[in-house]
Amino acid sequence: MMVLAIAQDLLAEARSRRWVLAFLAAATLVLAAVAVGLRFEVVDGALAATRLFGGDLRSDVRSVDVALRPLFVATSYVVFYGGLVFGIVATADFAPTLLAPGRIEPLLALPLRRWHVLAGTFLGVELLVLAAALYGGAGVFVLLWIKTGVANAGPLAAAASAAVAFAPVYAAMLATALVARSAALSAGSGLLILVAGIVAGNRAVIAELFQPGASRAVFVGLTAILPRLSSLGRIGAAVSADAPVAAGALLALVAGTAVFALAILAIGVDRFDRKDF
Amino acid sequence: MRRRLRLPLLAAALLLGIAALLLSLAEGPRPAQARAEPSFPRWLRQGEVERVRARRTLPVSMPPAPAPAWASGDEPEPPRVRDPFLLALPRDPGKALVVLEANALRHSRLGELFVECVMRKEGRDPFEEARREAGIDPLKDIDRVAYTPDGIILFGFLDRARLDAIPSRVLSRGEHGRIYVPDAEDPPTFTLGTWRGQIIALGKPDFVESTLDRLDGSTAEDRVLIPEYLTYGEAYGVVPGAALQGLFRGEQAELGARIARAASRIELHADAMRDVAVVARFSGADEAATEDLGTALGGALALGRVQAAVSGNASLAELLEHARVVRGAGGFSLELALPIEVVERWFSGCAGPGSPPAGP
Repeated sequence: MMVLAIAQDLLAEARSRRWVLAFLAAATLVLAAVAVGLRFEVVDGALAATRLFGGDLRSDVRSVDVALRPLFVATSYVVFYGGLVFGIVATADFAPTLLAPGRIEPLLALPLRRWHVLAGTFLGVELLVLAAALYGGAGVFVLLWIKTGVANAGPLAAAASAAVAFAPVYAAMLATALVARSAALSAGSGLLILVAGIVAGNRAVIAELFQPGASRAVFVGLTAILPRLSSLGRIGAAVSADAPVAAGALLALVAGTAVFALAILAIGVDRFDRKDF
Repeated sequence: MRRRLRLPLLAAALLLGIAALLLSLAEGPRPAQARAEPSFPRWLRQGEVERVRARRTLPVSMPPAPAPAWASGDEPEPPRVRDPFLLALPRDPGKALVVLEANALRHSRLGELFVECVMRKEGRDPFEEARREAGIDPLKDIDRVAYTPDGIILFGFLDRARLDAIPSRVLSRGEHGRIYVPDAEDPPTFTLGTWRGQIIALGKPDFVESTLDRLDGSTAEDRVLIPEYLTYGEAYGVVPGAALQGLFRGEQAELGARIARAASRIELHADAMRDVAVVARFSGADEAATEDLGTALGGALALGRVQAAVSGNASLAELLEHARVVRGAGGFSLELALPIEVVERWFSGCAGPGSPPAGP
């Protein structure tokens, strides 16, 4: 309950400080850019040709949703990676601000354990990012639906995946902020986890670049504990392309990512417990 | 003073372990346990040193040729008693020379698979005809075979070979040599020579004559192409770079010429007792060009491995899994291996006329 209270407090703080507004404004701006920037006339033309000739302008006749799959797949990747980078930049300042002298002391004076503060902050930011991701994903989903007439849940799945992937990223950002109260360092650690997660998600292929033996074993060992963020990114793409997603593997992937985030948070708690304010 | 137990750190370590387990589950079934590295033939192994010693059966009066400068110091001491087969081998560095340890190969897993396949395909024992007609059992009597562009040399228990059945003139050559010149040709383009019931040489007349002359000790002791310390593996040999050039034709001819210049000598060794592991040692006068060739080859292998993994080409991925370039003094080694499981899978498609088709 304490954790939820802290999270609620963070969301209220976010609302009062117009963080939410900034989030919504930024997400809307991205949606508007997508709506204006994408050359929908190409899509419109393909659709018109489909309607007119029963297929697109190529010799092979395909249904519209199949013809537009590459667009949905690309959009899902944009939502996933764009959402993550946007989340890192947008939340980089949260933890350093909350830990700033004059702000943290009243919180610590409350009858709370320190890990409550940390977990609550993490949960609050996660909820905020989830809401923004779903807003962005749903916006893209609706935009594409209106423009193409095809409802493809890929962008929504990508948004949800981005929210899951953001958990270890923000956990690392929070833990870094406890070591050094710097927004730049916090964002840097988030980006580092993102890049490491992309590498980990492709570790089977990248491992082939190493000679069999010690170097490959070290790479495989090091990447074994890292969250497979690029694998999460591929979920949205798979949904977009109507490719099957193995439920068991998906569950293990989400659970493993969440547990990794908890592990990083635990390291943050250890640091927080030992820190003097 | 007792230090406080840092529970959060303990929890973090535990959670990281659980995360790794869950994430590995998300990757699907665990890959097969890493198998032992194939046994690459890189030097004489203990069994081969003993094999080298056991094969020294021919006393020679002349001193052996000095070891070349690039030889390592691990080779056995120059013998007074020589291996007649190695003594018989041609010594022209401009021509390829490859030796197969036929008996060892026959008893390797690859050999077993091959013989089983041939038997199954033919539906009978195809070697029986050779036993009956030639008087020698290819699976038992032949110990080693040397291939050159001018002919081949067999070594083994060949005294029962039915050579008298060949319509030919028989000439003596040296103390123990005999040459069979076919009656059908004059001048002959092909002859057959024997030595002590141990060696048969088939090929161009001058090739057969020079082989017997070397065994007789009547030729100058040139530097041997394959000294004893290079007789490791179940197949070994030396190929001049120029021989590679012939593989490149048309627009690729220039590329072939460049490769031949960069690698003027290629030494081959193959181990087939279990996995099939091949080491090709490239060396050349232009060290920079040889190094560039090695780097390019290594890059191509790495790229091929990734491409095979990405494109799901399992056969190519298996072939390239153990492929690598190892740099050394004066050149580089290209190492390739095929795990025996892969070879067995390939041979599983070998079906006889009445056999049902094998699975993938």
